[in-house]
Amino acid sequence: MENKKIIINKKIEPIIKAEHLVRIYDNGIIKTIALKDISLTINKGEFVAIMGPSGSGKSTILHQLGLLDNPTKGNLIIDKENVLNLTEEKRTRFRLEKLGYVFQSYNLIPELSALENVYVTAMALGKEKQEYLDLGTEVLKKVGLSDRINHMPSELSGGQQQRVSIARALVNNPKILFADEPTANLDRDSSNNIITLFRELNKNYGQTIVMVTHELEEGLKADRIIWVKDGLIDKNKKNKK
Amino acid sequence: MSRKEKLKRKKSSIKTTFFLAYKNLIASKKTLVIITGVLALSFLSITFFAAIIDGLGYSFEEKSIQTLNGHLLIEPTNDETYIYNSENLIKKIRRLDGVEGVSPRISTSATMQVKDTILASQIYFINPTEEKTATIILDSTIEGTTLTKNDLNSIYIGTNLVEKYANIDDKTKKVDINAGDIIKLKFNNGYEGEFKIKGIYKTGSSFSDGYIFMNEKNYEKIYNISPTFASSILVRLPERGLEEEYIYKLREIGVSNEINPWYTKISKIKQFTASLQITNKITGLIGLLTTFATIYIIIFINVMTKRKQIGILKAIGIKKEIVLGSYVIQSLVYGILGVIAGLLVMKIMMLYFASHPLKMPIGDVYPVLDSVKISIACISIIISALLAGYFPSKKAAEENILDAIFGG
Repeated sequence: MENKKIIINKKIEPIIKAEHLVRIYDNGIIKTIALKDISLTINKGEFVAIMGPSGSGKSTILHQLGLLDNPTKGNLIIDKENVLNLTEEKRTRFRLEKLGYVFQSYNLIPELSALENVYVTAMALGKEKQEYLDLGTEVLKKVGLSDRINHMPSELSGGQQQRVSIARALVNNPKILFADEPTANLDRDSSNNIITLFRELNKNYGQTIVMVTHELEEGLKADRIIWVKDGLIDKNKKNKK
Repeated sequence: MSRKEKLKRKKSSIKTTFFLAYKNLIASKKTLVIITGVLALSFLSITFFAAIIDGLGYSFEEKSIQTLNGHLLIEPTNDETYIYNSENLIKKIRRLDGVEGVSPRISTSATMQVKDTILASQIYFINPTEEKTATIILDSTIEGTTLTKNDLNSIYIGTNLVEKYANIDDKTKKVDINAGDIIKLKFNNGYEGEFKIKGIYKTGSSFSDGYIFMNEKNYEKIYNISPTFASSILVRLPERGLEEEYIYKLREIGVSNEINPWYTKISKIKQFTASLQITNKITGLIGLLTTFATIYIIIFINVMTKRKQIGILKAIGIKKEIVLGSYVIQSLVYGILGVIAGLLVMKIMMLYFASHPLKMPIGDVYPVLDSVKISIACISIIISALLAGYFPSKKAAEENILDAIFGG
């Protein structure tokens, strides 16, 4: 009973808590309200999909949660830390240590091989050479690319590049993996493989994942879908298992 | 954060900085070659013109030392025509440590008549053995043979007086002679005699190739007086820069005549070369600014094309200092490689000009590399490359992550 309780507690521990996030883009002439008032909680080990029509603000939410942008107003707690109070240097370190990103267009560094693309953040984190080489190799193996570690991005297919991108996001064992339309540039098979990989990472390793997607089929594979419309949360609904 | 942790982070930052710089450099070989090439050309544009100007000045000075003035030129005081009792003086000078050569000259003038041409010229009576220790005149024979200690009734004449050695556009009066010919000379005391042209010399300096040299033994026959005096005494020292020291030494041994270091004898030319040096400095500065602008534009374009990449690196948690550092290191490498390439090309050009000197009125001019100027050029190029790399990289590294990635 005691053990079960611990497990339950673990499952409902919030890792992201956003309160009244507002994001207004102001170019000096026009003010665009991208997020009107966003409050949400994402728990540790959860796989959450953010969905909504184009321009609804779903990517903007991801950018705020992923510390790639600063909200105009609101509070944001990630892993018990009020991240909006962090200095730029600490935010960068926070991203390096605790967050992983998968972008729509892979965004690999073209000058680095698959392995180098993966281990560069581990190197920056201060891991020793053997350790980051092993970690890089291991995580590439985890995403099914053990036979492509020395390939340059230009020598890989879109699906493979996205896997490298996922491996890069995972190498520092992040608390949260953010994915911004990770399958948008992929064919159906590759897309299915990526979503299956996310599902496995979440299921087998308890990886918290926050993914923006257009595809309902992909969103349904998450634990929960947060629907966004006009900069507001429209629906926040758990998926049936 | 513990000190150990801070040190560890610093170490990993440096490692990542160098790793990214290295990977960028080896991945963009074309960029590396182009930027290195541009920097090498910039280096040459700054240094080569300066080397020619320096070479021009140096050649003139060297020729003046080697043919006309020695390192020191002892001349009569203002109220005297000659340096009297010169033999004793020469002995004393020769005994001074470090003096490599001493040559007394008696200067006079004469007119020579060849066919219908009469040409006035300055004549130097010399002791050929002593002259050889102090100047290169007697080693500059291009036709016939040089003067020797027993030559009588022979002359050694410079190419500036000889018709067949004249440049096409040289319209000054010259005589049509060859080595071995006999010509008539009429001296300023009225003495007339026939002399054999033993040799024709060419030092390459038009200022030195317009004289006639004769063995001093002829002087007694022409002027009926044994020459115990000299119009000037040339003193050759081991190297430049010792002039003031030896003037002091000469004064100490009792030389009371005028003692002029070579550079006071060519002050007008020094003025001219100094003006050229100013021009040189201005063009060098303009060259450096152009270099800076060129490198800035190239590196700016290079960095801007990697704007997205910089954004990605920052997004995945790479500090902006690492990103900036990696680009600054790349610029430093460009600068160093540019300088090395420039030095190599410069070396090749120096080798070429060593065998193909520039032909100028003062003679053959070889570019001269001044180590201080070269060092300044090297440092300037490297600093320019660093600054030109730093500013665009800093701008890119400080850009908003999303703008960098998505091109906002």
